[in-house]
Amino acid sequence: MCRTDDGESSNGDDGAPGGDDDAVGARFSALLEDSAEDLYEHAPCGYLSTLMDGTIARINTTLLTWLGHRRDELVGHRRFPELLTVGGRMYYETHIAPTLAMHGEAGGLALELRTADGDRLPVLVTSTVKKGADQAAQLIRITIFDARDRRAYEQELLRARQQADSERDRAQKLASTLQQTLLPPVLMSVPGMEVAAYYHPASVDEVGGDFYDLFPLTGEAWGFFLGDVSGKGAAAAVVTSLVRYTLRAAAVFDPDPVGVLDNLNAVLHQQYRGSDRRFCTVIYGSLVPDATGCDVTLASGGHPPAIVVRADGTAEFLLTPGGMLVGPLHDATFTKVDLHLAPGDTLLLYSDGLTEARPTHDRTRYSEEQLLTFLEASAPLTASGTISALTGLLAGFSDGVEDDTALLALSVPGPADSRP
Amino acid sequence: MSTDFAATAHATPSGPVLVLTGAIDAFTAPTAHDAIEHLTLRAGDQLVVDLSGLLFCDSSGIATLIAARERALTMGAAIALAGVPRHLTRILGLLGLGGVFPTYLTADQALQARIVAPTVDGAV
Repeated sequence: MCRTDDGESSNGDDGAPGGDDDAVGARFSALLEDSAEDLYEHAPCGYLSTLMDGTIARINTTLLTWLGHRRDELVGHRRFPELLTVGGRMYYETHIAPTLAMHGEAGGLALELRTADGDRLPVLVTSTVKKGADQAAQLIRITIFDARDRRAYEQELLRARQQADSERDRAQKLASTLQQTLLPPVLMSVPGMEVAAYYHPASVDEVGGDFYDLFPLTGEAWGFFLGDVSGKGAAAAVVTSLVRYTLRAAAVFDPDPVGVLDNLNAVLHQQYRGSDRRFCTVIYGSLVPDATGCDVTLASGGHPPAIVVRADGTAEFLLTPGGMLVGPLHDATFTKVDLHLAPGDTLLLYSDGLTEARPTHDRTRYSEEQLLTFLEASAPLTASGTISALTGLLAGFSDGVEDDTALLALSVPGPADSRP
Repeated sequence: MSTDFAATAHATPSGPVLVLTGAIDAFTAPTAHDAIEHLTLRAGDQLVVDLSGLLFCDSSGIATLIAARERALTMGAAIALAGVPRHLTRILGLLGLGGVFPTYLTADQALQARIVAPTVDGAV
């Protein structure tokens, strides 16, 4: 350290003020004029003392100014609890007064004072009991801090939270509205057939990636599809919308199911090249009702196989080996399968939200095979009976269903089914 | 998924081996795409993607494998997968991609069974 030649040497040994300390001393004497009494009266917080029953014995000017009362209105006439709001008064009588009696102090209390104008003044209150030489409680000393800033801060937090809540509600409403535009509000009815569908969104915050539809083609033919686009949310919804319109347009252009998927593959591959790769899995089908039921042709692009449940209670997968997922490969190929639905038969299309669910909450997933067994056990079923059996199954999985689930069932009413 | 993901590549006489380990999802897929873009591939090479250390793979991972295939075909190279985890084999089968990717138990087997790329300029 460097040693300088000023009065620093006077430090330490006797503590006497040096030459520079004269100015400090002058400032101190100015401060000393701020008497303890003046400090009490005009402190930046409110002070009051009460008798043990709460009767106000002394109050400082700061608090009187906040309250808008005159000293003679309060001292000897009013009890401290009377300065509080109704809720605060009850809290004082039931909690603060007993705490003071038992522990001699009570701190950190958030209360509201009633001013002479009837306004509420949020405050923080700390109290201690002053005891005499005989250890008997003599009076209560109360310090009151203005908590308007803190209250404003709390209200700001509350407002921010309410705003966040309302924005979340809006996002959910938007997601569900968007979802509704991606699914038919009601399925069209196909003459001589029964149809039913179900959609279970995995999240209320995000638009799901599953989709289905059923629509008339020329003549007696109908087209239908059920699929699942990669991803979730708004970006996936854009793809879902594109897929739906492409499938419907392609079906009009060339109703062959394999041709429809070829067309969709070309559109998705062209639209989503490079890093923003989007794809979907889908089963597209066409059906033509006839006198003995209905002829169906299905083409699959990487989608879990459709299931037919026969009137005799047997069920089988409608396999389309080699049908690839739609979109990412320029050279994707699709395969089709033909079948005939007789009275009492039901065709089911589903998404992997059902077969990938974890019903028992461990790592084990439900599977296509278990679904087949379940349907066989439930057979014979109509389209609506199939959907209600599967919604019951899904309800049993509860939060084991992690992904969106779409179901579409078509059946030819059997002789035993009541016809409208 | 917070499991660490890594994409590393090393060269062999028959072409690069890309090793993907950990969880591949929407957050880690860009790292894999980056590695694929930076692979040194020549016509006639075989790109082997070693998946034996892959713990999790969602649709972003499938997109990554397809991107690797596309890049290999564009360069006139072939692609093979090695050490495909069982759950991924099942998913690739469901998606109809079982026949798109030749698969081997290990990267070494893939190197030994080195296949010749279809054609030098046959890819679109």
